Amino acid sequence: MKILVPFKRVADPGSYVDQGAVEERKWIINPFDEIAVEEAIRIKERGEAQELVGATIGSEGAEEQVRTAMAMGLDRAIRVDDSRYLDAYAVSRILEGVVRLEKPDLVLMGKQAVDSDANQTGQMLAGRLSWPQATFVSKIEFVSGFTIARCTRETDSGLEVITVDLPAVVTTDLRLNEPRYVSLPSLMKARRRPFEVLTVEQIGVDVQSRSTVLKSSPTPRRAAGVRLETVEQLVACLRNNDKVL
Amino acid sequence: MIESLVLIEHCAGSIKRSSLNAARLACRLGDHFALAVLGNGVVEIAESVRALGARAVLLADSPLLAEPLADRYAAVLAAMARRLGARNLLGTSSTFTKDVLPRTAALLDAPMLSDVTGSETVNGETVFQHPVNAGSVSATVKLEGDVRVLTVRGAAFATPVPTGAPSPIEMFSFDPAALPNGTQFVSRDTRPSGRPDLTEASVVVSGGRPLKDKETFERLIGGLADALGGAVGATRAAVDAGMVPNDCQVGQTGKTVAPELYFAVGVSGAIQHMAGTMDAKVIVAINRDPDAPVFQMANYGLVGDLHELVPNLIAAIRS
Amino acid sequence: MDFSWSKEQKELLDAVHRFAARELAYDAIQADRAGQFSHDAWKKCGVFGIQGLPVPPEYGGLGCDPLMTAGVLERLGYSCKDNGLIFAINAHLWTVVMPLITTGTDSQKRKYLPGLSSGAIVGANAMSEPNFGSDAFNLATTAQRDGAHYLLNGSKTFVTNAPVADLFAVYATVDKSKGPHGVTGFLVEKNTPGLVIGRKIEKMGMRTAQMAEVFLEDCPVPVENRLGQEGGGSLVFSRSMTWERGCILASAVGAMQRILETCIRYAKTRKQSGQSIGKFQHVAGKIVDMKLRLETSRQLLYHSAWLRSQGKAGFLEAAMVKLHISDCWIKTCEDAIQVHGGYGYMVDYEMERELRDALGSRLYSGTSEIQKNLIASLLGL
Repeated sequence: MKILVPFKRVADPGSYVDQGAVEERKWIINPFDEIAVEEAIRIKERGEAQELVGATIGSEGAEEQVRTAMAMGLDRAIRVDDSRYLDAYAVSRILEGVVRLEKPDLVLMGKQAVDSDANQTGQMLAGRLSWPQATFVSKIEFVSGFTIARCTRETDSGLEVITVDLPAVVTTDLRLNEPRYVSLPSLMKARRRPFEVLTVEQIGVDVQSRSTVLKSSPTPRRAAGVRLETVEQLVACLRNNDKVL
Repeated sequence: MIESLVLIEHCAGSIKRSSLNAARLACRLGDHFALAVLGNGVVEIAESVRALGARAVLLADSPLLAEPLADRYAAVLAAMARRLGARNLLGTSSTFTKDVLPRTAALLDAPMLSDVTGSETVNGETVFQHPVNAGSVSATVKLEGDVRVLTVRGAAFATPVPTGAPSPIEMFSFDPAALPNGTQFVSRDTRPSGRPDLTEASVVVSGGRPLKDKETFERLIGGLADALGGAVGATRAAVDAGMVPNDCQVGQTGKTVAPELYFAVGVSGAIQHMAGTMDAKVIVAINRDPDAPVFQMANYGLVGDLHELVPNLIAAIRS
Repeated sequence: MDFSWSKEQKELLDAVHRFAARELAYDAIQADRAGQFSHDAWKKCGVFGIQGLPVPPEYGGLGCDPLMTAGVLERLGYSCKDNGLIFAINAHLWTVVMPLITTGTDSQKRKYLPGLSSGAIVGANAMSEPNFGSDAFNLATTAQRDGAHYLLNGSKTFVTNAPVADLFAVYATVDKSKGPHGVTGFLVEKNTPGLVIGRKIEKMGMRTAQMAEVFLEDCPVPVENRLGQEGGGSLVFSRSMTWERGCILASAVGAMQRILETCIRYAKTRKQSGQSIGKFQHVAGKIVDMKLRLETSRQLLYHSAWLRSQGKAGFLEAAMVKLHISDCWIKTCEDAIQVHGGYGYMVDYEMERELRDALGSRLYSGTSEIQKNLIASLLGL
């Protein structure tokens, strides 16, 4: 089985300091994609996959994340050189191009990026490919001689189990696994391993984003309220002031 | 001309009320909208939404649609949107619409915007606001193209009120053989909790990891929720620790709630959790640590040991 | 003069924080209270690559230069609150691993370095004795040649890692009349008959690092386990001492950064008399002092490391690093307690533990008095 793991480079949410100066922004692999990388590696470690290919879209800076993903255990990686702002629409079309090149049996990726919070790309990709999809997956196993993936999904009403015929797109949820950390020796080894850099033209895709961000502003913060001493005070406030009890 | 099609969500024979809220946005985007109901044996669901002022309720009723499998639903929904020539396809944000609508967008070669909280007109065009970065930033976005797909943040739009003339139900037919069949439903683990739905409750009590275990969580958080007739929520840490199932998780990657009253018990106030509570009217924080960030966001704060405070609070409420 | 890390160096340094945030974020208050060595944390550090930092790749290490080594250790000090664990790693690195690298024979290196690098083996240094601390080279433990062995007799104290160590670097004299020129180094494996680990010594701070006395009673050490030449003990020692003095407080720089950030956060959010305490000059002044100490420590640390990376000896600079950073660390911890007011005295706020941990730094690897004497003599006084 060949697994393609697309991943996105995002700013480390821990480095969002809203007061005072932020020195250098730290970048990481989107946590949900990191979970996908980890799962792909575990699948290979079990002997169920033979080749793991990572893919990211971005400028040279993204190579830091490529090396991290390879150091975790991917066999190969592709950086699609494109530094434009890309919405899920455009990303899904570029990934479609990568899928047509690489012909994986499974695309395993994070359910959402923690910066855009869109939760669209995997589903759009599946639609474009006409492949089945399993989203927000917290458990995945292969049955019927690795032709079918049996997935447990986390939904608003609890856990749901479905099967999808391969090839399919699966998006990962939080509780699928806990990714391994990357050790210094593996990072140093990964540095010596080459990866491909492709342009969108080489992938055969010509696409623009279909959404434009006109402006962004911090959402108004709630004002800090009152410290109370006793539960009686609290009940009185809620009853009399806010009338919510 | 029907500008918008709104996907209705239902479960176990009843409608998910917040799924109607997207119709409010539909009304801003054009003069007419239609509702889409998909399922098996759901005529009554379609009947129940006839009074919302839609031009039509499109009903796709088939055993093949008994479960909300995204590949099948997206195919039918896309066909509905094409037949109507709708410019907008809408839904209220939920795991159901997140699963189905982006795929549908791809089939329609359309862009999509999730969790819309508002809209405005700029240079004659409608643009939309939505939260990003765990809700810390609000972005205003313009979408290009003939068709666009949008989900609304449930709390940002009110439930439409019934209007006069009932909408006609139109049976939507499709070729079953043309429907994708690469996905099969196996099982669902839904325990009825006897408590209100988290996303619709007017009171929510959430707990974090300091609740230690399932029994304590149920006793204190469940106990307080029951005293108030509310729903139970949780932080990711509490779900990870197995204290509650995943569908209680509130936050950036869980559910968004907008109750009148939200209790954050043993919750530190990390933005990934509080992102799901932005629209609560009153937030009460109970925490041992006086410097916990949650106190910066709560209307009322009580510093102390939740194992003492919560039982006292339950008693004070009941009296 | 380029003061910045390269892109490649930064990637490695960033990996340290991710590793420590994931694997070393256990409850430091609880760990300090229990005073136990965490084999689990030790092994994880080994897998991550810490114990192999300066070891040449052919012996299983990463072959990092002093700059990179100091950088990784600084990040570790920032991201891991367990100063005891880091101290145990430092003791292992500078008193066992480094002497092996600089003075060991090829077969000694092949035998021990891979295990020491991976964390599979813990190293401990038995140098100080009850009557000989700073006056180390007048030690009394003897080594008598007996055919294919030396027999070691004596007692050692302040042996960091002794209760959990697999390999001991032990210093003994082959000829007391020669004074320092009789001192010889030996590699002694755990479970060698006659090697007795004494009672655990409880310390004021860095309590997760274990320490004990070690007794040698006709302990036979094979000749091939002699480290360097007979009488070459002080040479072994001084070759690795510059690395030790230069790097052992790299993690303290990271700790000072963490403490500074904690104090800034606290000073901004804690309010008294209607405003944040950071607006009060006395509080702000202390934090400014912390910042200055942090930056001067950092500059000294990396300058010393850079000199050694260039192949220069850097004795003077290393001694200054040890002297200056220990003082800065302790003073910063004192100030941090003060900034936190009453809460600074409370165990839960962790500042008191930082001070207890820091206080040892003026004592190990040569007391501050010794460092001053050394600097004075290098200045020609």
